[in-house]
This record gives sequence, structure tokens and C-alpha cells, in this order.
Amino acid sequence: MRSLPSTLNQRRILTLLYIIIMVSFFFFFRLFYVQLWQNSFYQEKALKQRLQAIPLEGLRGSIYDRNGIPLATSISAHTVYAVPAEIVDAPSTAQTLASLLNLDVDFVYQRLKKRSAVEWLKKKVSDREAREIVSLNLPGIGVVPTSTRIYPNGSVAPQVLGFVGIDNQGLEGLELYYDSYLRGTKGQAVFERDAHGRSLEDGIRGYLPGEKGNDLVLTIDLFLQKMADEEVRRATLETGSRLGLIIMTDPKTGEILANSIYPSFELNEFVKYEPEKRKNIAVTDTYEPGSTFKAITAAIALNEGVASLRSGFFDPGYIRVSGWNVRCWNRGGHGSQSFAETMQNSCNPYYAKLALDLGDQRFYDGLTSFNLGFKTGIDFPGEIGGTLRKPSPQIPLVTWANIGFGQGLTVTPIQLIAGFGAIANEGIYSVPHYVKELVTKEGSYPPDIPEQRQIISTSAADTTAYVLRTAVSLGSGKHAEVEGYEVAGKTGTAQLVEHGRYSHSKMVTSFCGFAPKDDPQMAALLVLWEPQGAFYGGIIASPVYARLAEKALPYLNVKRGKVDRGTERQIKVPELTGLSLAQAEAVLKRNGFRVGTVGEGSRIIGQVPASGAMVDENTLVFIYTDVEYTTTTSEQPNPYGV
Amino acid sequence: MRIPRRYWRNLDWPLLLAVLALTTIGTIVIYSASHTQLIASGLSPWHFVNKQLLASGIGLVLLVIIISIDYRVWKRWVKVIYLSSFLLLTTVLLLGDAVFGSKRWVKLGPLSIQPSELAKIAIILVLARFFEKKEQAQELKYVLQAFFITIIPMGLILLQPDMGTATIFIGLFFTIWYVGDAKPKHLLISGITLVGVAAAGIFSSMKGWVKIIKPYQLSRLLVFLDPYADRNGAGWNIIQSMIAVGSGRFFGKGILNGTQSSLHFLPANHTDFVFSVIAEETGFFGSLVVLALYAFVIWRGLRIASLAKDTYGTLLATGATSIFFFHLIINVGMTLGIMPVTGLPLPFITAGGSTMLTSLIAIGIILNVGLRRIRIMF
Repeated sequence: MRSLPSTLNQRRILTLLYIIIMVSFFFFFRLFYVQLWQNSFYQEKALKQRLQAIPLEGLRGSIYDRNGIPLATSISAHTVYAVPAEIVDAPSTAQTLASLLNLDVDFVYQRLKKRSAVEWLKKKVSDREAREIVSLNLPGIGVVPTSTRIYPNGSVAPQVLGFVGIDNQGLEGLELYYDSYLRGTKGQAVFERDAHGRSLEDGIRGYLPGEKGNDLVLTIDLFLQKMADEEVRRATLETGSRLGLIIMTDPKTGEILANSIYPSFELNEFVKYEPEKRKNIAVTDTYEPGSTFKAITAAIALNEGVASLRSGFFDPGYIRVSGWNVRCWNRGGHGSQSFAETMQNSCNPYYAKLALDLGDQRFYDGLTSFNLGFKTGIDFPGEIGGTLRKPSPQIPLVTWANIGFGQGLTVTPIQLIAGFGAIANEGIYSVPHYVKELVTKEGSYPPDIPEQRQIISTSAADTTAYVLRTAVSLGSGKHAEVEGYEVAGKTGTAQLVEHGRYSHSKMVTSFCGFAPKDDPQMAALLVLWEPQGAFYGGIIASPVYARLAEKALPYLNVKRGKVDRGTERQIKVPELTGLSLAQAEAVLKRNGFRVGTVGEGSRIIGQVPASGAMVDENTLVFIYTDVEYTTTTSEQPNPYGV
Repeated sequence: MRIPRRYWRNLDWPLLLAVLALTTIGTIVIYSASHTQLIASGLSPWHFVNKQLLASGIGLVLLVIIISIDYRVWKRWVKVIYLSSFLLLTTVLLLGDAVFGSKRWVKLGPLSIQPSELAKIAIILVLARFFEKKEQAQELKYVLQAFFITIIPMGLILLQPDMGTATIFIGLFFTIWYVGDAKPKHLLISGITLVGVAAAGIFSSMKGWVKIIKPYQLSRLLVFLDPYADRNGAGWNIIQSMIAVGSGRFFGKGILNGTQSSLHFLPANHTDFVFSVIAEETGFFGSLVVLALYAFVIWRGLRIASLAKDTYGTLLATGATSIFFFHLIINVGMTLGIMPVTGLPLPFITAGGSTMLTSLIAIGIILNVGLRRIRIMF
């Protein structure tokens, strides 16, 4: 019925049609695959690239002293950010912000011109500035809550606390060591944006606030810390020392009650101080302990049965050790001495002899059990060990003889006071630590600290304590004596080791002791580096301990012994909370108490001892005033609508 | 002039209606894709829609003029048309306005036209005339002559540079030659040669031996294989297009609700990537409707080609129809991530006057051949 021009043409057109049908099928399947099969994949991609998240920090946890007084806490601050794509007039916006936030105009302008989604302009902006910026309603400029670290009681034990950086990350000290506990959980503000980064007015918005981090309760006691601060400052200045340190611990638990270093630094301005001046030298530096170390040698010797209270020694002023003369600091010698007298006289040759009698291996093992020359495992970053080498034929006996009286090895101050703690506490060693409790939302629990362990026998420890008591009551440490308390302790003076040699002029002088001898509540180590003039520990270090103990022991509710005080009238502590500072002071003085004031407020919010407690007349009563600081919660409001 | 009544009976109304449907869809999608950007830059949201409607109006007038002149009469004008398109292509290279690094447009008073679009029509007329004679399609000497004629405008277009349109010329040449009774052996040999030359060209450009292909073309050419290799550069368009298409689902996000286009993630959304907008806003369903309309147009075009009164008519209709076919696979293939990114428009839908005019002229040619076919119905 049809006569077509060419059947061949027609067939070829049909072939073309087949090709087209095949291609159509291919497109059909491709569309099916992309649009239906892979739909959720692309759906998510489409959403993801429209959503812009601004991270929100959770408040960092607080750090409290052992009585719950805040030392470091975080309060809400603000961060100003820019969405460069939304900036309308960059030069004038930069001008306005720079003058408001006290920033460089160029710096702000560069940030506004960046081709990124979000740019931070300034962190830790005050409430007032933040409100002003919000009220200006500049396009592309926003404010989100962040937090800033504050120190309600000033820069307390800054070397221990450490500090945080601009993003609230722990940089040093406990802030670093416990960073993962303290750090809050991040939240975020989400908004929907277009391809240029401009947020959509009616787009998706989400706000998930960050969660507050956990809190730390330290073993440090703010008041004991302040006492130690005062004493170490005074001692350092009076002796013209380069550096001073006081560590105070509870020998029964290893809790560090105070850790004071002078000169100190301001936490708020930590960047202005060199890293060297911010170190916690109690843990991160070693020194040569000198004669204080004799207590350790005595304890090991007593424990090993090498010496006893009945031992005696004749000191001609030196002792010969494999051809060397080890001299006593007293060139004339101490003559004939009992065991206790060697400690009172701080007789070097006798402690050299004890070391030799023990033999290098036994002495070394004893030192190892005391952790001297090794890390204690304290909860602090950057702890170092010291220099105690394993016995070997290469180490001559004279080296061990020297270690017997504290020369030729270095330890950290924390190692020494932990060792004294074991002597004070019936031979039980407690690992020193700074944190008492980790407080989480679920509850509080103690930090992970190695268990206490018996390192020497109770009798060896008690005998050493007795000998150390006589070193104070009768010996070189007599200036450490405190009326009514049995103080046990030992002075020490060593030459400073500089570049591997003993310095002739630079000394390190120290006192380490505990009290009361039979029920020790407090151990303390004072170290002064490079004092000017008089440098013997007995003269300059012991009185510092006495002054400190004089204040700290009553504060710790340790009763003065009857022997020294005779019959004392017990009086009741009055209720002071709610009174004004002047009223409280008047009440206390009228009743025969001494007054210690904490804080700069004018109203009394607490007291130690508590009201109703029966105490001796003339007891020091601490009153806490309402120091101003802001408490914060994890529920941060969202004042910006982001 | 007078058109016999039977011609109107022969007019392929379904084809014309499909074309009008595509144009209508195009207008809606152009509005949806461009209005936010137009408002943002202070223009009327109807800016591109108005231009498009004007172009379709002019195109329809041209279509009526074209179908009223018997296509056989055009044979006389073939040389003139070819030469004038050559002149226009030369002009655009010398005086054209560069857009995105290539010179494609030339200003004629208030109009800005794209000579490469018109050159496609010209080459169809020339090749149909050439291969109308069977012996010319079968003898290698003549085939080479035809190829030479094709490659001149194609080379000028490559210089703009416009790889997509240039590629279409090769497609048109082979399609018309094939239907014009090419010998299978010749087809095979020349096909292999062509593929070899193209591969060698790409390879040596990659190695930097010769600079046939510009670096941006090369990166576009290869990036579709792995768009994430350069996700913020050459890969961006493909990734955004795939996200637009992929997030469309069955019925799409709704007209005006496509986030990819209205939030400016998808570039060139009213021109090269208009199909991505259709896929995003109308989903799988809408995409299939559009593809079906194209398939219908192509089928009607090929049907008219097979019913044509003479070989010349067959070849004209085949050539005009294959324009749509090639544009469709290259453009839609690009939006679906299976073809390189070339700036080839989607006929009737992409915003652009020259494309609209050329497309309606091509439809006019098909309808013309259909009008003057022998008198049998289906």
C-alpha cells in the first residue's frame, strides 16, 4: 500500500529508533538508581551541606578545695563570630566591632573577608559587650555562649591548679591532668544556610547546649594553703632566697594539704610568666635532700636490724671509705654518741657507716620501697623520678656512703615528704595526691590512687619518729619546737648542684618534719633555694616550720599537750554566720578567741571550728566572708535565639 | 503563498503539542530555578521567563514561515546559508562576547545570537543535499568532501571553544550519512579512525604534548569519572547536580521548593543544569514525563523521516531530529553524572533564545517534510 522512496533508508531509521530506545532505557535505569535507589544518600548530602554547625562549649567543671571552697570555676562568657557571606558592609562592620571589642581593625576586616563559613572574632567577651553587639544587630555577626575560667579566691596554688587556654583546654597542672574530667561536653547551634553561607531566616534551626564537665575536690585546704603561702613568702624574703617551697601533707593518707611556692604567679595572667616560673617544683624538679635524708637511712637501717636505739658511734670527724675520707660537717668530730645523738648532731660519718653496713643492694632496695629516686605516681602531669642508680660494681662504695647522709642523689620534694609520711604513719606508705574526690553527675568517687603499703615495720618507724623527735627537742632542729606539740623532724643543708658540680656558695636548706609525733596530723617540708647569709637549716628553716605548725595544728583541731599548757579552760565557739565582719571579730575577741579572716566580703557565711565546738582558750577561729563569685549551672539559657 | 488544504491535514499536531508542552514545562522550571537569584540581584523574577516567551514567540513565527515554503525550494539556498553561517562563526571569533572563557555570542542590535546554533541547521541542509545522491554517500571521495564541509564550521566552533556543539556536528554527519545509505564498511573504518583520533588527542593533551584541548576542558572531561577528586572545583557542578537529582525522590520537592537550586548550590540551574532542577522539584515522575515527551518528539521526527516523499526530506528530518537526540543524551547524561560537563543546552527547556529559535526551526523542518509527504495516513 505504500511505495517509499527507499526501504533501506527506512530500515536504517528503524535502527536509529532502536538505538534511541536502548539509550532511553539506560537513562531510565540511571534515573531510577540515582533518584530512588540512592535517594537517602543524596537526601542526606543535600541536608548536610545546608546545615552549618557552630560548636558550643559545655562549661568546664569547677575545682574546689577540700572543704568545698571554689578555687577555679567557669562562668558564662560569650564568643563573637562572623558569617562572612552575610556581611553587608565589611569596612564599617570591622570598624564598629574593632572599637567595641578593642581589636585591630585590619584583623577584624581580614576575618570578615575570609571565604569560610564561620569565623571567630573574639572569645571570652563580657556580658555587657555581648549585649551591645546583639543590640547593634549587624548582619552576619553573632554571639554564642562560651565560658571563661575565674578564680574566686585568687591565685591559689597556681602551680598545682594549672590553667586553661583560650578554648578552655587544660594546659598545665591539675587542669591538664584531669582535663578529660573537667572538660564539658560540646553542644552545637545549627542553622540552615545557602551555598554562599548566608543563613536562611525561615530555615532549620537547632540549639543543643553543651553539658558542664565534672568537678574536682582537692586535698588542698585553702586556709592551710594561705598559711603556707604566708610562711614561704616570709621565709624566702627574709633569707633572701631565690625560691621557696612548702608542702604540707596528711601523713596518714598522703593527701597534700598545701603546696606553696614563692615567688608565685597570677593565674589570670599566666601568659606573662615564663614557663620556668610556673612549674610545680614539688613534683617536676629534683634537688639534693642533704641531711633530711638521714631519717630515711635510719629507718631502713632500723628496719633491717643494722642499727638500734642501743647502737653507739664514735665520730672522729671523718670516716674512711675505700681510701676516701668522708668528712663530717663538724671537722672536730662529735666524739662518742648514742644512736639518737647521731641524729641530733646530724653526724655524717655515722650515716655513711649505716649505708655501708646495709650494703649497696639492701640500701638500694630500702630506698626503692620508699620510692625515693622514682616517680611516686602522684596525680600530676610531668612528674619526674630522680637519680638513683642500681647497685653495680661500677658504682663505688663511697657513692652509697654519701647517699647515706643525703648527698649524691636527687629526689623530688614530694618523694621526700612521702617518705617522711611513712615514718610518721607507722611504716605505711601513702602515695601523695592532690585530688580527694571526682564529682560527676552520677556521684562522687575517689581518684585512682595506688593503695597504701607497709614499707618498714611499725617499730622501725616508731623508733625513727622518736629519734626525729629528739632531733627537734634536743638537736639541730630545736627552732622547730612548738609549744604544746611534739614535733619530730630533721634539718638539711646541701650545696646546690650546678652543671654537675657542687656550688661553693649556693645552698639548698630545708626542714622536714611532722607533728604530733604519736598521732601525726600534718607533715611539712620547707625548702629554700640559695638563701643569703646564714644558710643552715637549723637556723633558718626550723623556725619557719614552727611558725607554720603553730597556726596549722590548732586549725587542724590538734589539742595541745597537757605538759606544756597546764590546765586550760575549754570554751564554746559562738555562732557567727550572718554577722557582719566587725560584729564577728568583736564577739570572738570578747570570748577569748583569736581571729582569722578569709575573703574580702563583709558578711560572715561560715566558720571553722563550727559553732558549739569546745576548744581551748585563745584558739584561732577562721571566719569566711561572702567572697563574690558567680555560681554556674549546666543549663545555659540561649539568649540569642541561635 | 498558498498552502493546499491537505497539507494542514498532514501537519503533525501531536509533535507540535509535545513541543509546546516541553516549552511550557521549560518556562515554569526557568522561573523556579532563577527567581530567587533574580530577586537577589534586583531584577524582575520574570526576567528569563519573559525572554524565553519572546524567543518562543519569534520561533513559532519562524516555524510557520518555514513550513509554508516547500523544503525542496531550499536546495537552491544551501550554498548561501552555509556561507553565511561560516561568516557568522568567523565574526563571533573576532567580535564575540566572551562568557565563562568562551566566545559564543555575537550581538546583532538588541539581540545576542549564538551562531553555532544556527550552524547546526546549516550543516543539516548541506549534508542532506550532499547525501541525497546515493552514489555520493557510497563513494569515499565524496564522503571525505562532505566531512571536510562539516569540519570547517566544527573547527570554528571548537576554537570558541565549545566542545559540546562541535561534538554534535560529528553526530549529525554520521547520522545523515548512515541514513543516506553509507556502506557499513566505510562507517566502521571511519568510526574506528574517529575514536582513535579522539583518544590520541585526549591522551596527548593529558601528557601535555600538544595543546588541542584546554586544561579546563580536560578537567571537565575527566572529572565526571570521579567528581570528588576536585569537589570544590571542577567536580562541584556534577556533585551538586547529582545531589539535586538524587534528593528528588518519586514526586520531587515541589516546584519552587528545590533547595539545591533556590539556595544556589546548583550552578547554571536555569541553563545547563535545568534538568537537575526538574529532577529535584518534580522527582522521578517528572523526569520521566520530560524524557517521555522527548522520546515522543524523536519518534515523531523519525516517523516523518521514514514517510518523507524523497531522500532529501528523509535526511532533513533525520538530521533535525537527531539534534534533539544528541542534545538530550549529552545534557541529561551530564546532569546524571554519566557524561562530561559541556555547556550543551536542553532544547525547549534551557533558558536561551538561540537554542529556542534553532529548536523551533528544526521542528519547522521536520513538520515541513511531514506536510509534503505522500498522501497516506498511518
